[in-house]
Amino acid sequence: MRWLVASFLLALLSVVHARSFNSSRLLVVTEEITEKDKYSTFWGDLESRGFSLSFASPKSPDLSLFKHGALAYDHLLLLPSKSKGLGPNLTPNMLVNYINANGNILLALSADQPTPSAISSLLLELDIFLPPDRNALVVDHFNFDKASAAEKHDVLLLTSPKPLRNGLRNYFEVDGSIAVPRAVGQVLGNASPLLAPILRAPSTAYSYNPKDEAEAVEELFATGSQLSLISAFQARNSARFTVLGSAEMLENKWFDAKVKSQSGVEGATANRAFAEKLSAWTFQELGVLKVGRVEHYLNEDLPKGTANSSEVGFLDLNPKIYRIKNDVHFSIEISEYVFTHLVPFTPPPTDELQLEFSMLSPFHRIPLVPTSQTANSTVFTATLTLPDQHGIFNFIVNYKRPFMTNIYEKRTVTVRHFAHDEWPRSFAISAAWPWIAGIGVVVAGWVAFVAVWLWSAPAEDGLRKRN
Amino acid sequence: MRLPSSLALAALAFSSACLAASWSFDDATLTVSSKGSGADGGVKEKLSPNSPSSKAITLPAVDTLKIVLTATEGSTGKRPHQAFLTLHEPTTGLEESFPFSLKENGKGKVEVTQKDLPYQLLTSASPLRASLILASFGSSTPYASHAFDLTLQLDTTAPPTAPTTPERYTPKPVINHIFKFQETSGPRVISFFFTLAVLAMLPVLFGAWALLGANVDHLGKAFGSAPIAHGLFLGSVLAMEGVFFMYYTSWNLFQMLPVAGVVGTVAYISGSRALTEVQERRLAGER
Repeated sequence: MRWLVASFLLALLSVVHARSFNSSRLLVVTEEITEKDKYSTFWGDLESRGFSLSFASPKSPDLSLFKHGALAYDHLLLLPSKSKGLGPNLTPNMLVNYINANGNILLALSADQPTPSAISSLLLELDIFLPPDRNALVVDHFNFDKASAAEKHDVLLLTSPKPLRNGLRNYFEVDGSIAVPRAVGQVLGNASPLLAPILRAPSTAYSYNPKDEAEAVEELFATGSQLSLISAFQARNSARFTVLGSAEMLENKWFDAKVKSQSGVEGATANRAFAEKLSAWTFQELGVLKVGRVEHYLNEDLPKGTANSSEVGFLDLNPKIYRIKNDVHFSIEISEYVFTHLVPFTPPPTDELQLEFSMLSPFHRIPLVPTSQTANSTVFTATLTLPDQHGIFNFIVNYKRPFMTNIYEKRTVTVRHFAHDEWPRSFAISAAWPWIAGIGVVVAGWVAFVAVWLWSAPAEDGLRKRN
Repeated sequence: MRLPSSLALAALAFSSACLAASWSFDDATLTVSSKGSGADGGVKEKLSPNSPSSKAITLPAVDTLKIVLTATEGSTGKRPHQAFLTLHEPTTGLEESFPFSLKENGKGKVEVTQKDLPYQLLTSASPLRASLILASFGSSTPYASHAFDLTLQLDTTAPPTAPTTPERYTPKPVINHIFKFQETSGPRVISFFFTLAVLAMLPVLFGAWALLGANVDHLGKAFGSAPIAHGLFLGSVLAMEGVFFMYYTSWNLFQMLPVAGVVGTVAYISGSRALTEVQERRLAGER
């Protein structure tokens, strides 16, 4: 609801036609202000999508991510810095607070500059491991750009990333190859479901320290697809933190560089399109889901005599109380935000939304099927029979996937037992019919007896004489 | 030692003009042996750079797989920057690389035991594809080729401990609540049969009464002398049964009680008058 009001107001206030879902204030932190000219095409692309950029150095004293308790900037882009840390205003603690306040961060690293230890320890908290040597470089002798790195092989030429696994949507697909010059490889911890690699190194790549391991590499940090060149972390509040291993791939000269692959095929890089997709995902322009109406109602004919007949077609929407074994219809409306507007959301092919009806643990977990579409949302519905357990239950839609906003909608209802007059009547129970017939026979016999007693004459046969 | 890049480029141009060397290897032997068995026990196999080994290699639990080779650039033995033995699991696509420790002249070895392998490769259902990768900086063509297939013989007495399954965001299993047992009635045929049996008892009862001499002979006489009393009384008895029927089907207690009260009062008053009439007949000796 708050998003609805905020985006409506933003739509009124703005004239640009592309917009991040939250808002558009982007802070770029770079040590040398002159360096920012190297990325001018990238800044231009961001501004044309509606971001308002501010540039600051980490050393500037009045740099603050928060203002009056709220975020001063909605997004943060950190370029590699030569100094040991990011200054007193961007401590790892403050960056974590920034993410907890729904700020998005794109952190760019470079193999040319040693990564500050503050950054390494921040990434360690997120379960992202950087090589222990400060100077680490990813090379691949099989997938490099012959035009620029024929000797050193430190400019990797990669194909567009594929979906991570079956059932996930790929937001980073581009046509063409992606040049990744002088990247710092990362290794992602296995335990966290919040981490996902966006771009992985090919299987012959490895990371080494050019200062110490110039001759041969004996101790491996990681190789192949275990090296993640671009990693994504989506916090539980759906704030996004992307670690970009190579800041140089955002530079103007790599946006449409002519590259030559190992096999001699020449072409242009797709870095510009990839940078657009990467920044769009990180700054909440792609992969953002929004929940509209959530409705549930009783899906049965009302019993005779209790219908509230004030109007035809009256539907008691979202009642607070149901009865056990009621048939209930549940629907939820979900839209996806793509750059500028909301579109109906379709889950990836083998994926499905699920509705849980749960007390402490789910009694039902059933798929939510898309039944209809409005102009900018899809309505998913499910019908279920409430369990024969009374109590306080929740309708829960818990849809969390890598690269998509976390959806968690909970509606609480009471489920009561049968009332005394809701049980089936005895004449409806076929096994009771002999007993009901017995009652009828008794009643008829009684009335006949009363009549006989009142109006009988004494019997004329020998029975009387015997008495 | 790193040359300045311009010098390196010049050297590159010069060398590429001379020859485009390619990495390869010579004198490669693969052995699978356990400690203490020496060179006699275990598998010994020669590897060729051009074609993968046709023999499937098995690595038992306590043994060591050792590959000794001499890496060559062109025709001279040299140490490449990257000399890996990569094990690739075909179904999941996971792989792990083990670096060779080579000397300056390119000679060296790598040793792999089951302890070095991660859980996912150890428990692979199909054999692992082992490739040799020799590559370095510069313009020489790198070498990467499938060398042999490796099957692992796990120690059945001490199976590898599975790591805890990490939590991933995927659809969870479908749950449909299993409802408690619902009582049902028996077959309707049996109900019908017994209902008819019970209903048939009514004529039997009336027949038995008739045999015993039951009659309503004084009906005319009673109605002749006290028609209102008897009529009201019989009516109120029938009405009471009607009240009970309505209470059974639709009325609630508060609807039924007033009616029952009225009917009962009528029954009491008319009944006492009717009984007076019966008493008159009894005193007249007709009962």
